[in-house]
Amino acid sequence: MSIENIEEPKITASIKKVDVDLYIPEQATSTSSKKETASNRAEENKEQQGRSNHWEVRTDEQAYAYLPKTESEIENRYGKRIDLVELTDKPVGRSMFINDNPQVGTNPDRNKQHGFFFTADNCIGCHACESACSEKNDNPAHLAFRSVGYVEGGSYPDYKRMNISMACNHCDDPVCLKGCPTRAYTKHAEYGAVLQDPETCFGCGYCTWVCPYNAPQLDPVKGLVSKCNMCVDRLEVGLKPACVSACVGNALDFGVIENTPENREQCKTAIPGFPSPEITHPNIRFQQTKTLPDELTRTDNTPVKYHKDSQGHYQPVVDQKVGKQKHWNLQKLNSRENPLVLFTLLAQAALGTFIIPFLGALAGIEVFEVFTGSNFFLPLVLLSIVLMSLGLFMSVTHLGKPFRFYRGFNNLRYSPMSREGFGLAMFSASLGVTSLLLLPSNTWVISSINQLIGVDLVNLVTGVTLRPWVLGSGGFATLAGLAGLYYMNQCYQIKARPFWNHWQTVTSFVGNSLSLGAMVCGVVLLISIGAEGAGFSDALQILGLVFVLGQMIEAVGLIGHNMMLNRSENEGGAAHYVQCTTFGKTYLLRNYLLGFNLFMGCGLLMTSQVQNVSESITVAVWLSLSLVNIVTAVIGRALFYNLVIPTTMPGAFFWKNKGFEQHARDVGLADNPTCGVAPLAH
Amino acid sequence: MLFGRKNRKPIVIPNKQVAKWKYTTCNYCSTGCSIEIGLNEHNKIVTTRGHAGADVNRGKLCIKGILEHELFESPGRGCAPLVRNQHFEEFEESSWDHVLDTTASKIKQIQAEYGRDAFAIVSSGQLLTEEFYTLGKLARGVIGTNNYDGNTTLCMASAVSGYKRSFGADGPPGCYDDFEHTHCLMAFGSNLPEQHPIIYWRLKEALEKRHFPLIVVDPRVTMLAQFADIHLPITPGTDCVLINAMLHVIIKEGLQDQSYIDAHTQGFEAVKALVGAYSPEIAQHICGIDEDTIRNVARLYANAPAAMSIWTMGINQSTHGSDGVANINNLNMLTGNIGKPGGTSLSITGQCNAMGTREWSSCSGLPGYRYLENRADRDEIAAFWGIDSDFFPKKRGLAETDIFPAIETGEIKGLWIVATNPMTSMPNTPRIRKALEKLDFLVVQDVYQDVETNQYSHVYLPASVWAEKEGTHTNTERRVNLISNVLPPYKNSKPDFWIFNQLAKRFENGQMIHFPETPEGAFEEMKYLSKGKLPHGAPRNLDISGMSYAKIAAAKGIQWPFRETDEGLKGTPRLYSDGVFATQTGKANLIPVDFYNNNEQPCDEYPFWLNSGRVVEHFHTRTRTGKIGNCNKFSPTAYMEMNPDAANALGVKHQSYVRLTSRRGDAVVMVQLTQRVPRNMVFIPFHYHDCVNRLTLGLLDPYSRQPAFKQCATRIEAIDQVEAARINAERRAF
Repeated sequence: MSIENIEEPKITASIKKVDVDLYIPEQATSTSSKKETASNRAEENKEQQGRSNHWEVRTDEQAYAYLPKTESEIENRYGKRIDLVELTDKPVGRSMFINDNPQVGTNPDRNKQHGFFFTADNCIGCHACESACSEKNDNPAHLAFRSVGYVEGGSYPDYKRMNISMACNHCDDPVCLKGCPTRAYTKHAEYGAVLQDPETCFGCGYCTWVCPYNAPQLDPVKGLVSKCNMCVDRLEVGLKPACVSACVGNALDFGVIENTPENREQCKTAIPGFPSPEITHPNIRFQQTKTLPDELTRTDNTPVKYHKDSQGHYQPVVDQKVGKQKHWNLQKLNSRENPLVLFTLLAQAALGTFIIPFLGALAGIEVFEVFTGSNFFLPLVLLSIVLMSLGLFMSVTHLGKPFRFYRGFNNLRYSPMSREGFGLAMFSASLGVTSLLLLPSNTWVISSINQLIGVDLVNLVTGVTLRPWVLGSGGFATLAGLAGLYYMNQCYQIKARPFWNHWQTVTSFVGNSLSLGAMVCGVVLLISIGAEGAGFSDALQILGLVFVLGQMIEAVGLIGHNMMLNRSENEGGAAHYVQCTTFGKTYLLRNYLLGFNLFMGCGLLMTSQVQNVSESITVAVWLSLSLVNIVTAVIGRALFYNLVIPTTMPGAFFWKNKGFEQHARDVGLADNPTCGVAPLAH
Repeated sequence: MLFGRKNRKPIVIPNKQVAKWKYTTCNYCSTGCSIEIGLNEHNKIVTTRGHAGADVNRGKLCIKGILEHELFESPGRGCAPLVRNQHFEEFEESSWDHVLDTTASKIKQIQAEYGRDAFAIVSSGQLLTEEFYTLGKLARGVIGTNNYDGNTTLCMASAVSGYKRSFGADGPPGCYDDFEHTHCLMAFGSNLPEQHPIIYWRLKEALEKRHFPLIVVDPRVTMLAQFADIHLPITPGTDCVLINAMLHVIIKEGLQDQSYIDAHTQGFEAVKALVGAYSPEIAQHICGIDEDTIRNVARLYANAPAAMSIWTMGINQSTHGSDGVANINNLNMLTGNIGKPGGTSLSITGQCNAMGTREWSSCSGLPGYRYLENRADRDEIAAFWGIDSDFFPKKRGLAETDIFPAIETGEIKGLWIVATNPMTSMPNTPRIRKALEKLDFLVVQDVYQDVETNQYSHVYLPASVWAEKEGTHTNTERRVNLISNVLPPYKNSKPDFWIFNQLAKRFENGQMIHFPETPEGAFEEMKYLSKGKLPHGAPRNLDISGMSYAKIAAAKGIQWPFRETDEGLKGTPRLYSDGVFATQTGKANLIPVDFYNNNEQPCDEYPFWLNSGRVVEHFHTRTRTGKIGNCNKFSPTAYMEMNPDAANALGVKHQSYVRLTSRRGDAVVMVQLTQRVPRNMVFIPFHYHDCVNRLTLGLLDPYSRQPAFKQCATRIEAIDQVEAARINAERRAF
């Protein structure tokens, strides 16, 4: 590869020849004439000469705006090649087709991984980078690709504030790209830019969960995610991004990664307040040489501060911002994550409802064997389908663009969310097949058909044994459902969200599948037994056992979670602090209810072993416990979603402060769009 | 492999489709940044960018400049002239002819009944210089009121007064290029990163090339204070004590530049005698800076080959504002740091055209730094305008801060407010509200119909803004910049220049005096008046006769003096380089500045210092920036910085509301706890209507009549949070 090769702009035709699988815009030819007028005008400037037409270089452009021509390393500190085109099978001089423009950028380093360089010692928090970005990208007030927050510490007048300007770090390991179920993300060989296509996105916001730096921005008004595009249009002509060019503190810089800019003497991967670079290997480097106070606090409402450890690194510590008082705050449990609370609970109930009796029958438990052979198995399968469909419907309503739901399976290769959705959809589909297969053996169906249309199918179906087929499709449904459940859990094993990133999530999901499944299945089973006039006790004993097992698993998870969080000082510990204060009473209520259920369930199981209790009383108690369990599960799941504190960057007092955003919505300040807080539409 | 999808996603980045760029100058602060406004094929403004070839900003802009093009169509703009009989009635839309006739006849009526000075005019630092000149002509030569002033009395009056007292004339002697040459910079009450980000950038560039000591005097730990080599967290209002103690050390240790003092100054002995009483041992107990640090700083400053001072509102907005400026000048004259590269006394001006109004508006006298008190000046201007010189008063009338009290006492019955918002910006706004309510006739001329002062007006004149007009600004370093006309006036608004011209036609003198039809015509008159010599023979420094719009545009601003004999496009970067000053003797005055403490001090009843200031994302009373979401979102509502230890003692929580009271009134603000402020001080940005200025006292400087916004006392009261949130939201419409 020689530099000359890259610098030579190629014409569209040759690109088409060498790079057939590129995105070739349909109207590339019709719009190119328009672009040429822009480029012709731009070429009047001497500054534009020898550069492509992606961006008009200003007359008398200053040195600070140009990318320097310097040597770069072969590999970055993580051992990844900096020249990215060599990692692909793509040709060197191909167009990015920015806005359908077929020209090839004239930047000689365009195939190298670039990144921001932030001199934290210098940032004055003047918002020039943020406004330059918002202006260039036409972003409304409530949305920003780059934000400045700060940490502060010390005691007057020995006070220090460190401002942090942060956008996307175009990571080596872009978790957003991997997480996105729609494949809206691409990591380009050009500049290593991680770009996202809002037109592909369906607004699930999962990328905003997994990103440790809060780079992807979910616009609640448009219902779409968008993010920093590295100003690749400016890069193509050799200019630094707009935010860098606008910086007036000489804090923000940009270039080939691992290159230390002129006049800078440090090139490190973290500063206080910045989440661990180990999560994604972000392409940002820092200089921060001035001594900071041992403890740095955040002005936003996140209960996290940072402490200097013995190595001089700053580690997150819980900041008890709202004291230690316990509150209910039940109304705060009602949030925009409600659909997800319902989705996960319904899906888990659906899984349990089907899988418990199905596997029970396979295991040779008589109650289930009888049941799955009865007419009542079909309604149970249908009930499970209804629950799962309701759940999936809720998950779709959570999307910013619900009508694009079908794109959810686009990224089975990487995204746990895609796989979760796929697994659950397969579960529903194979249950649908199962229910069809159950039709012929269901005497109610046969007799109803006979009554309705006068056709007696008994003879037709007699002797046809579909049992193996039912077993097959039911088995497939079980596998698909368990896979769905597995990936449902995987969705929450996110390093950027330590509160979720724990085995408690598994115990909660499995436990709820068992307890809720046992309840729904139990109701159908009891009805079926009642219809046949048989005794309830065996069924109650077995389902009770499953129910109690589910609760026990959940309780073990909660205890483990609590123990881990009590020791944890990171954002997980901070979330637990909120759990114990803001939602302290609610949290206790849930734990007491769970304990009560466990105690009662165990008691019931044992007493029924040793003495005769009236069946109707036992049924009534189990049903009450199940109802209590629904309350427990809903509170628990709502807490799960509301409490999570991501490892995002520190905010400012108003901007990127969740506390102020909530307040602005509560008191109506957010009604004015210039407040920068969007009303939550979803 | 994470790269490349089989089907690559389209990359869409907003393209503004700029068809042409128009050069102009930013209309917010006085830095004087060159901006290019981008228009698309349909002549619609789509973007702005800094002009990379302009010496001032070299392509950089601050947040306000970057988003400035959004203000043209922002909410609340005046669409049509409005009129009503009483302030409590509804406005009716009217025609320009009708409102101008009404205004003229009301002015005449008030003047006939109560005397010429019973009608007052308060203008601004926001207009273009040609408009100031025209308004001055209208006020002094046509309407003939002596109660005519600008809101510059709230911002730069102390600097003007201090410069006049020290050097015999207004005009900052230094320039931004001095950063490149200085060996020590001392900033008094100036927070460049927040107030003047681009000037800060120029300073930072200089510091990165060659580090020199940065000393910052500020009671708050601002970003500049934090970045300083030496931060002096001074007790509010005691700057003069600090400077006197520095002068004491310098003279005692013989560090002064005696040859400069002898050759170019007068009054050294008086200063030496006075500062003898200000030993650091004594001074430290008043100004709160320990004696060792005072000595250290004094030696550092005096020993630097070139040292410079900058200051902004921390000095100007105090009861010793003018004295503070004079004392900073003393410091620089004693160390020989005037008019040399890197050695200067540079006031960092506030408003975009505070300099323009100082030079040409006639607020404090007559155009071109002429004095009403000076007969030759009166005669010269009267002759040039073609009126009787006796029409001019012999002495300057009331300053803005004295005009409102004169409404209280009934001396002033009518008022015309141009491009300023005293209902938010003046100290003690409860008093201002009462005064405005009392007026027989109030005209408000402003870009925004929702400017709070409009609540009390009888006539509202919708003005055009910024690049809807044409003319010049002068920046902090005396650079005359051009605002090109980029788009037509919004709806039925009119350029202020047009409004002044039309109103002039409705008066007798207005028929006699020539009012040029175009701003450039007015500029030609100014050029003519800028030529020649001062009464005592020295050439006028404020000489713009060599300039033209075309030359200014080509040079991206020219610094005065730029005489018609000057070649090229480069003006004069520094004043007084030859050591000749604008005083009668040609020598600068060293002025002894004695300290007296007349500020309201924190006490048991009101235990906190109340400090106010700006934030970077807002300008003045938020009439512009409050409506641009990407500015406003960084501080969308009023807040107060408070020390966490003090808050803890009072049980005040972060991000909760408190009610503040003072001897004037009350305010509700949201609390931001930070160790940036001392335990006995709170800081509130002044931009918000019905907020900090309901509390401020604003004692006046005896020379400049500038209010001491930053020194008064307040107490903190608890308030129901729901009630407070409601009050806070209701107090302002934007």
